Amino acid sequence: MAENYSPCKDLPDLLSSFVDTFVDFSVSGLFLLPQPKPTPLPHPSQSQSSPTNHRLPLRTRFPSAQRLVAIGDLHGDLDKTKQSLRLAGLIDSSDSWIGDSTTVVQIGDVLDRGGDELKILYFLEKLRREAARSGGSIISMNGNHEIMNIEGDFRFVTREGFDEFRAWADWFCIGNKMKALCEGLEKPNDPFHGIPSVFKGIKPELVDGFRARIAALRPCGPVSVRFLSDNLTVLVVGDSVFVHGGLLPEHVSYGLERINEEASDWIKGLKGKFTPAPDHCRGRNAVVWLRDFSHELGKKCDCSHLEHVLSTIPGAKRMIMGHTIQQLGINGVCDDRAIRIDVGMSKGCGNGLPEVLEIRGNSQLRILTSNPLYQTNNKYKLSASDTHRPKQENDLLMSVPEHRPKQVPVKA
Amino acid sequence: MGQVQSHAAAEAEAVEEAPSSSSSSSLESLIAEAAAYGNDENESLDAKAEKALECPCIADLRSGPCGVQFSEAFLCFLKSTAEEKGSDCVHPFVALQNCIKGNPDAFSKDVLEEDDEVKKDEEPTQQMKIIPPTWSKEPQSPKPKL
Repeated sequence: MAENYSPCKDLPDLLSSFVDTFVDFSVSGLFLLPQPKPTPLPHPSQSQSSPTNHRLPLRTRFPSAQRLVAIGDLHGDLDKTKQSLRLAGLIDSSDSWIGDSTTVVQIGDVLDRGGDELKILYFLEKLRREAARSGGSIISMNGNHEIMNIEGDFRFVTREGFDEFRAWADWFCIGNKMKALCEGLEKPNDPFHGIPSVFKGIKPELVDGFRARIAALRPCGPVSVRFLSDNLTVLVVGDSVFVHGGLLPEHVSYGLERINEEASDWIKGLKGKFTPAPDHCRGRNAVVWLRDFSHELGKKCDCSHLEHVLSTIPGAKRMIMGHTIQQLGINGVCDDRAIRIDVGMSKGCGNGLPEVLEIRGNSQLRILTSNPLYQTNNKYKLSASDTHRPKQENDLLMSVPEHRPKQVPVKA
Repeated sequence: MGQVQSHAAAEAEAVEEAPSSSSSSSLESLIAEAAAYGNDENESLDAKAEKALECPCIADLRSGPCGVQFSEAFLCFLKSTAEEKGSDCVHPFVALQNCIKGNPDAFSKDVLEEDDEVKKDEEPTQQMKIIPPTWSKEPQSPKPKL
């Protein structure tokens, strides 16, 4: 069997995967399982040599999951990310997936306000591959901060955020140089092509970080293509609609699949390297920016408007959103037709206690919390079943004290 | 079949130096064969990896200041049977990292010229509107007015 073995024939490919593994390890400290093999369903529009050409077309609607865990905005805080996953019994003490067939939905806003942005993207990718082996899945969504960074809007980037991307770029370019030394391998593209080396008015020590972040995250950038281009912008699982900001009737009539495809194509760079995001992702009424149904004061949520939007999506009973920090924790308004799950957990904004939403089957909603006030089982119920209760603003939160302790060590 | 046997026999010879008789008792030969076969698999993986190091594709990578560290890390990766391939190579990977940190241009050969070419393209593009965080801007006020 080894008779016709010629050791040099496969070497370029082996070198390439060695370099990728080495770069990944150097950036994230992680080793990933091999990418799960996609079922043979060639995507006609992905024939070009983009790194995503082996991936499946995006799927927008899924049947209800036996168990689904929804996680809010993470904003560059890896510790809180892990705490949330641990809280829901999805990872063990060595950070490996133990969630079996659970579906995880991360509602977007991994980027900005913290320094572990790439580490979170890598970590979720590592878990995604582990989860796939036991029938589980991790669905990542676009938040407004993903869109902003791809567009070059760096207003909420931290110094650590620039540093992390600069280190990424250093290793990525070393990897490219290593590949370039092997004749059998195609010359890698320069990720910095077309990016200015001068930024007026910016502190000079930050210029490398700026360039690295642009290179990584702009449309067609190696990080955006690899980690963000498969993100969903709108998602329907069973009777729940997930979206970072919120949906309006015009979004639904525009087409949920179309919104997902357009965002994905834009991130892949199919519309150009410096093109602004599709309209449905920009401005205050954009699906990733809307706050109509997530204002902390429940009375500011127009329930009949929400009802109308939901009625245009077959089978939809509730909209689950991030984007607006809920100081008092995950809550529902309009009879739990609007569930707001951004608890501001990142230490870069609020440093809130991790909480996640659990949905079993179609309608059993629970909040899993690390708040010691609810340590009985780490769980408390949404208000859905208590329909006889007098309707109040923040219905769900009736038993929650006005001020929750802000910083309590979390054991999960 | 025949090949494996003769190979195994050769292996045994090499190790024991003096084969007392080529037609040894069946049990002994079975054990020898099993052991040799087991070694053979490992050795062939090792041998393949070692042979791979001679390939022209990586000749440049093996020379230069981090050539040794590269070879060790790459060899370890080729031999790795871990599910997360390479995860049993943390030490050689870290050694390679450290070498590169000390020699940032360890693998830069030939690439420098092209970098220069690319630089010419890197004039600020009108299409690019980067919005910086306020903290990243150079302080304006302390600048002496002319």
